[in-house]
Amino acid sequence: MDPTIKLNERVDIVALYRKDGDIATLAFPCKMKYKGRDITFTKLGMRHPTAQGKRMIHVFDVTDGSNDYRLEFNAESLIWTLVAVIPGSLS
Amino acid sequence: MNYNLNTADPMIMWIDLNSAFATAEQQAHHSLRGKPIGVTNRLSKECCVIAASYEAKALGIKVGCRRTEAMALCPNFIMLESDPPKYHTVYEKLLSIMKDYSPNVKMKSIDEGIIDFSGSQPLRKGRSLQDIGQEIKQRVRNEIGDYTRVNIGIAPNRFLAKTAAGLHKPDGLDTIDHQNLVDVYKSLKLEDLNGIAEGYGSRLRAHNIFTPLQFLRADKDLLSKRVFKSINGLHWYNRLRGFEADDYQTQLGMVGRQWVVKKPTSDDRYLRSCLHFLAETTAMKLRYRNVEARGVCVWLSFNNGEFFTDKKMYKTTCYTNQDIWLRVSRLFNNRPEHLIVRTMGLYLYKLSPSTRNQQSLFREVQNADFLTKAVDEINDYYGTFTIYSAETLEGTRNVKQKIPFGGTEYFNLLLKRA
Repeated sequence: MDPTIKLNERVDIVALYRKDGDIATLAFPCKMKYKGRDITFTKLGMRHPTAQGKRMIHVFDVTDGSNDYRLEFNAESLIWTLVAVIPGSLS
Repeated sequence: MNYNLNTADPMIMWIDLNSAFATAEQQAHHSLRGKPIGVTNRLSKECCVIAASYEAKALGIKVGCRRTEAMALCPNFIMLESDPPKYHTVYEKLLSIMKDYSPNVKMKSIDEGIIDFSGSQPLRKGRSLQDIGQEIKQRVRNEIGDYTRVNIGIAPNRFLAKTAAGLHKPDGLDTIDHQNLVDVYKSLKLEDLNGIAEGYGSRLRAHNIFTPLQFLRADKDLLSKRVFKSINGLHWYNRLRGFEADDYQTQLGMVGRQWVVKKPTSDDRYLRSCLHFLAETTAMKLRYRNVEARGVCVWLSFNNGEFFTDKKMYKTTCYTNQDIWLRVSRLFNNRPEHLIVRTMGLYLYKLSPSTRNQQSLFREVQNADFLTKAVDEINDYYGTFTIYSAETLEGTRNVKQKIPFGGTEYFNLLLKRA
C-alpha cells in the first residue's frame, strides 16, 4: 500500500542557493530541524512548482540517505512545511 | 523481393518516457527506486494501476491491473496516488529539451512526443540524428533527473519511429530505415505493431496474414478492399513501408467527464450535486477549448448492472455553467430514481467554434456571459473553485480531477485544480 506518512508540520530549514550554469540557480534544502533532531539531506530527487491560486508553492522531494521527505516552500509567506515522509526501510 | 519501401533518410524522432508517472515517482523518492510500484488515480481497495514501474511490469503487474491482483502477484507492491504537478514538470522539461532541436515538435500524449527534423539540416550542423538522440538522453538525465530514462526511435515515418522506440525498453535508441525494416519485422509479432490489437489481428489472420512480414507482403487491394474494407488498408500499406500516414490534425468531437461514484447511492441530492460539479468542470473545459456545444448526453450505470443514457440536440449552442447544467439536469431527471448509481458521466457534442465575442442583443444573454467571464477570471487568478455554485458543494468535496490519457491540451487547465 502507500507507504507515505503525512505530517504537514512547519519545520526549520537551512537552504542553499547554488549557481547552476550562467542563468539557473539550484535551490536545495540542506538541513532540517524536526522534533529536536537535525536531519541533513544528501540528495534532491525532484523539485517542482505548483500553483495554489495565486500562491506559488515549491515542492522539494529530498532524501537523507535513508528516508525520503516531501517539503513544501510557500514562496509568498516564506514558510517551509514538512508534508510527508516515506520511510526508507520498505521491503 | 521489392517491397517499394521509402528510401528517404529517417527524419522523425519519437521520444517516449516509458512508465512516466511511476518513473517520476521513483525519480522524486530514492527509497522507491528498484521497487515494484504503481500509480493510481485514487487510492482505494479496488483501485487500478494507471502506471507501473519497470520492476512491477517484470512481475506481471500492468496498466489496468487492480490493486488486489497486484498485491496477489507481489505482496510488497507499493501503490501511490497520482501527483499531476510532478508529472507536469517532467512533461514541460521534456518538451523544452525537444524544442531545442527543431521547431516542429508535437507531443502525442503526456509522456511521448515527436521531433520532425525534416528541413532542419542547417540546425543540426552535420550531426546525425543518432548523435542528437544520445545528447537528448543525457540532457534528460541532467535536467529531469538521473533516474529518468527515455526510449528514442528514429525512422522515416511516425509509425516506424514509435516501433523503433519500443525495441529496447527502457533506455533504447534505435533506427529503422529501408535497410533494416524487413529484419525488424521478422523479429516482431503482429500485435507488436502499434495500432494492431486483437480486433485487427483477427481480421488479418482471417486473410492468412500471421506475421508483420506477411502484412508487408500483402497486396494494396487485399488490404483496402478485403481486410480493412476502407481507406485504412491503404494507410496501412503506406505506413508499413515507411511513408507517412499519420501526420494529420484530429478534430475535437466531444467534451465530457465521468466519475465512479464514491459511495454508490440513489440519493438525489448527493448525485445531483456531483453531476452538477461534473457539468461545471465540463463547461470549463468547453470554454478553455473556445467551443460551444449543441448536444448534451447524460449516462449512468447502476449497481444492478443496468445502464441509463439520454441525449438531446438543441437548436442553440451553450457554454455557460447555468445553461449546461439546465440541459444536463433535464436529462438527469428522466433516470430511474430508485436505482443505485455506480458511475455517472456526461458529454457535450456537436461542437462549433465559440461566438462569444459577438455581443448579444438580449440583456439576459449578455448578463449570463459577463457573469461567466467574471467567475472564470476570478477562478483563474485565485485558483479554480474559488467561486462555484452552492449546489456543487458536495461534488467539490468528493470528485477529484484525475490524469487524463491521450491529449495534452487540458493538462495546463487541470493543473490549476491539482
